[in-house]
Amino acid sequence: MIRFFLRRLAASLLLLYLVLTAVFFLIHLAPGDPAAFLLNDLRLPPEQQENLKRTYGLDRPLPVQYARWMAATLRGDWGRSFSYQRPVTQVIGDVLPATLLLAAAGLLVEQALGLALGIAAARRPGSATDHWIRIVALFLYSQPIFWLGLMAILLFSLVWPVLPAGHLRSIGAEDLSPVARVLDVLHHLFLPALVVGLATCGPVSRFVRGSLLDVLGQEHIRASRAKGLPESRVIWVHALRNVLAPLLQIFAVSLSSLLGGVIVVEVVFSWPGLGRLTFEAILSRDYPLILGTTAFSAVAILFASLLADLGHALADPRVRDA
Amino acid sequence: MLVRSARTAVLLAALPILVLTGCGSPREKGEETPPASPASGTPQRGGTAVVSWIASPTGVNELTNQGTAITTEIIRQLFLQLVQEQPDFEQHPPTMAPQLARSFEWSPDHKVLTFHLREDAVWSDGVPVTADDVRFTWQAQTDPDVAWSSAFMKKNILDAEVVDPHTVRFHFSHAYAKQVQDVNEGVILPKHAWGKIPFSKWHDSSDWFLENLVVDGPFTIGSWQPQQDVVLVRNERYWRKDRPYLDKVVIRNTPDAASQMTQLFSGDTDFIPQVQPGDIARIKADPRLDVIGYWFRLYVSLVWNSHNPLFADPEVRRALTMAIDRQKIVDTVYPDGTGRVGVSPIVQSVWAFDQTLKPLPYDPAGARRILESKGWKDTDGDGILDKGGKPFAFTLISNAGNQQRNDAGVMVQDQLRKVGIRAEPRVVEFNSLVSQAVEGKFEAMIFGFQMDTSLDMTAQFGSKSTEDGNFGSYNNPEFDRLMVEAMSKPDIRDSKPILDRIQQILHRDQPVTFLWESQRLSVVNRRIHDVKPNVLFSLFNLEDWWAGPAR
Repeated sequence: MIRFFLRRLAASLLLLYLVLTAVFFLIHLAPGDPAAFLLNDLRLPPEQQENLKRTYGLDRPLPVQYARWMAATLRGDWGRSFSYQRPVTQVIGDVLPATLLLAAAGLLVEQALGLALGIAAARRPGSATDHWIRIVALFLYSQPIFWLGLMAILLFSLVWPVLPAGHLRSIGAEDLSPVARVLDVLHHLFLPALVVGLATCGPVSRFVRGSLLDVLGQEHIRASRAKGLPESRVIWVHALRNVLAPLLQIFAVSLSSLLGGVIVVEVVFSWPGLGRLTFEAILSRDYPLILGTTAFSAVAILFASLLADLGHALADPRVRDA
Repeated sequence: MLVRSARTAVLLAALPILVLTGCGSPREKGEETPPASPASGTPQRGGTAVVSWIASPTGVNELTNQGTAITTEIIRQLFLQLVQEQPDFEQHPPTMAPQLARSFEWSPDHKVLTFHLREDAVWSDGVPVTADDVRFTWQAQTDPDVAWSSAFMKKNILDAEVVDPHTVRFHFSHAYAKQVQDVNEGVILPKHAWGKIPFSKWHDSSDWFLENLVVDGPFTIGSWQPQQDVVLVRNERYWRKDRPYLDKVVIRNTPDAASQMTQLFSGDTDFIPQVQPGDIARIKADPRLDVIGYWFRLYVSLVWNSHNPLFADPEVRRALTMAIDRQKIVDTVYPDGTGRVGVSPIVQSVWAFDQTLKPLPYDPAGARRILESKGWKDTDGDGILDKGGKPFAFTLISNAGNQQRNDAGVMVQDQLRKVGIRAEPRVVEFNSLVSQAVEGKFEAMIFGFQMDTSLDMTAQFGSKSTEDGNFGSYNNPEFDRLMVEAMSKPDIRDSKPILDRIQQILHRDQPVTFLWESQRLSVVNRRIHDVKPNVLFSLFNLEDWWAGPAR
């Protein structure tokens, strides 16, 4: 088991290094100069432009910039954001709680809906319910998430104004009691989390349905039914347990698409999180911040994958022996 | 059954959140709007305004926090300048209203400018604002370690001499037109507070400046939530004791334009500095909202790269302009009448615009005649003009995210095809467009330029400015000479004949085809009064805004 863990860890670290290197060079290959943002004013005299580039270390050759950045990253120093003039770790740290909150809530909705829809479809394969669930799941999955977000805002904030159109909290929320403040955040969280969950629950429901149908056809399930166990017990206790291990795998995979969805949802809902920060950093060519947010996302996804691998290995000995 | 259970669970989980809606947030209940006064036109003290902004502010020190417009807007509410440029440039050069300086005077040779500071201006910690602060600011602005992006504007200032605590004297290397603008660029900073850390540490001290904020403007920072909102609250030590009227201004960061509109209609936002023309009809249909339009000092033009043999000849460029129906383009991209055909880099709302200039007529037949006289004929019958075996064909780039310019590109393609020219519109990402522009690696592009009131057009058309703004590499020694002459006169009004001549030369040579000038459209909830955004700042007179019954 330890060997398995070390092997996976080494592979993850190598992948992380490759991702970071690729991102570094891809950003620098992309058209557009960070100096254009820093300089802000195209009329700056050349000596002033050079002065600014020197201040930000952009006057060095690219390999030198890369070596310095990688060495600093290994020391835990992710550099200083061009636009915020603050350490990247601090800028990310400021917005991380909001993203974690949204991602966790979105994940909860995704898994709950995916599981519920998948089970309902598997119970009566080929029925009208199964068809409708498939259509709805495919529809939600095929819609651009920003469109879903805008439609949700239109419906729940304008036509039927029961939920706020965006932001993490109300204006003046700092004057509320602690309990009211928590409820205020939940009030704002509901719609974006619902959109994230709705947009990503489709594949989970299809996966649950497929896995469950496989399991339901197996002998021990038939035996359970033959013993006269209630159908709900057969599904929830006997069948679903066998689906959970592979579900863990798809959970890790879906984390990356969830993070992608969160970026868009954060922009649409003015949610002050990592996704929006990344979006703004890309627009402004804030290299250290782009690298920092990308590195963070890569670490998060690789870490989740590693955990999922370990979980899977613990549940299924064939995996760790492979 | 299971689906029904799951649905019920979700709805139950949502219940406390939905119930909250009935309570409403403090803002939604309108608690902070003061009660109506008998005279609803009389400004009232108190209340909160919510401003929605696409970008988020990055810090409070304008010398090190480069970039977003909202950063500058906020900083201008925290700190004062010596004088304040006014948006009254339609009939004459803009006047400079007293701000931190009570008055100023020139030496006879126009090389020394003396400012007399207000005695009643104090920093928010009670320390008086003095000439030492002005000199300290100039030192910071010009320090290489601070590397302020506008430091070049100070290059002709030799010294900022402290005469006495309330008198400061600027010495210039020579007299020229933009002296006041150059001196006045940048807000005055608190020496006693921010002078505690050396200039070499300024780039590492963004948080420190915020934590050690001392202001002399109408507002100070109440709270600063990254990516969320910045709350401005009244600076009780502001020298105008009756301002600002509002207790609080919340500047909310809403990065998506569609979300901004939703928040406007739901009443969560009082002011949006810029809305798209396509949203105006919806806004006007809402009786709570008011649209404020003002002519922007931005002109959008079609830049011809004169290094390309297709566009090297001014006569050919004139023909291209004549082949483009600019009025139709303007009517299409600004259907509500908030745009007009451009004709000069000095836009028509500025005093120095040459009123005798008229846009070249839309005349495809005339354009074709000119092109034929230059040897461009359709010899192979494919509908495209050619010369020496080469077709008159080029790529026209515009930036992604700007629908008006993208639409204009398609219309230009269609119109030029009628005279036998093949233009291929291509939309590229903005940073990519700027890169191509700076490197001169484009054939034609649609680009917007903003003119300031100095009226210096060197950056856009000077022969040595090919990387600064003269992307089409226009090269005319007469333009260069006249521009230097116009900018060398201490009073820009004396340069009006020269500025007219420059505009006529540009009109003749058509280094660019001027497409349009447009209004900027702001929207405000009628419960907020005396909102007067202008081309200088959207929050220009924020201290005069007041909340009251809807107009």
